Amino acid sequence: MKIKLTVNGLLYERECAEHRTLLRFLREDLGLTGTKEGCGMGECGACTVILNGHAVNSCMVLAAEIDGATIRTIEGEANGPSLSDIQLAFEKNNAVQCGFCTPGMVMSVKELLAENAKPSADEVKEAIEGNFCRCTGYTQIVEAVMDLTGRPEEKGELDHV
Amino acid sequence: MPMLYEFRYLAPKSVAELTATLREHASDGKILAGGTDLIPNIRNGLQKPGFVIDIKKYDGADRISYGADGLSMGPAVTINDLLRFKDARDRYPVLCSCAHELASHQIRNRATVAGNVVNASPCSDMAPALLCLDAQAVLRSGNGERVIPFSSFFTGVKKTVLQPGEFLERILVPAASAGVTGRYLKLKRIAGHDLGIVGVLMTKRDGEIRFGVSSAAPTPVLVDTVTTKDSPDEAAAKVLASVSPISDVRGTKEYREHMIGVYARRLLAEVR
Repeated sequence: MKIKLTVNGLLYERECAEHRTLLRFLREDLGLTGTKEGCGMGECGACTVILNGHAVNSCMVLAAEIDGATIRTIEGEANGPSLSDIQLAFEKNNAVQCGFCTPGMVMSVKELLAENAKPSADEVKEAIEGNFCRCTGYTQIVEAVMDLTGRPEEKGELDHV
Repeated sequence: MPMLYEFRYLAPKSVAELTATLREHASDGKILAGGTDLIPNIRNGLQKPGFVIDIKKYDGADRISYGADGLSMGPAVTINDLLRFKDARDRYPVLCSCAHELASHQIRNRATVAGNVVNASPCSDMAPALLCLDAQAVLRSGNGERVIPFSSFFTGVKKTVLQPGEFLERILVPAASAGVTGRYLKLKRIAGHDLGIVGVLMTKRDGEIRFGVSSAAPTPVLVDTVTTKDSPDEAAAKVLASVSPISDVRGTKEYREHMIGVYARRLLAEVR
């Protein structure tokens, strides 16, 4: 079947098998390999993209069921050599180790900040609870977000270990 | 590993088309709602439907509303649609507490309330709330509609009263259950998202206590024998008499029984 998707502001139209997941469609049909496959069953969040404004695991969505949708992926973050604010904050706070979880982390944080411009540390942790970092660098990721948005005074400080 | 298994994707655009499609593919079709169970199951070879029937594409499938009859949710209403719906947050805090405990943010954006009960997993997080709130399932097939209370909906592990060709068209949470308060304690292996080892919900309305328990028996369990006069120990004994947990990868039978008792005592102590 024919699938039309707007990905990072560009309209793509491709012939696509009905059983193909959004993750495979992005990576193999569109060549957008920034989105990663970790577990392939919704546990790890490496494949997180933003579908019509909401973060989803692209390994559990069929391309066929979202014909006409608008997607944001990690490729839409940087503008040429200029990193996005979230990417800059991750870089500055050493929130990237091996980097495999980072595209998914950035997309989860992006949805959070679209809805909640000044989250608490707990709210950041909840937003990324579906994203596993097997380097276990969670503290730096939470700090990167708090550094970017500013710590809300009434919501407490983040304990640094 | 690529999803090698191939199936056809169907997207009925009306309820009539959906019931006809379900009748035609009663043996080789599976309904797709949020896909957070079906798609991994297909990937892992646990399910091999010839036809995947998308239930989200007919007009009204994603409708959530509150009126004189209470809260009504179509089969495409996601967990986060429920949590974003002000009437649900204001009037059904118990339903929202359980919804909030379900999986991760990404999964809550995709998984549906209907799918969580139709799967009939013993660890369903929505079932304890729907049981305690006297919710009903409106089932539809080509033969018409029937309304089943959730107390009669689950028949075994991953089994419900749904017949081939039938689908869950609406979940109704009665207006009489608005304002019921309570708390859901879910024991998990990690602080982040996980399936429950056990989940215990206690609700209170006009002095009436109810417990809804997940991951503790072949089906989610409703316990309505506890009263406010019971001591925490008596309450725990009544809840434990209604469950029959097993040992599995997430925990042993003994650990589950112990923690159900701990949670029942803790919840009852809070309201006394």
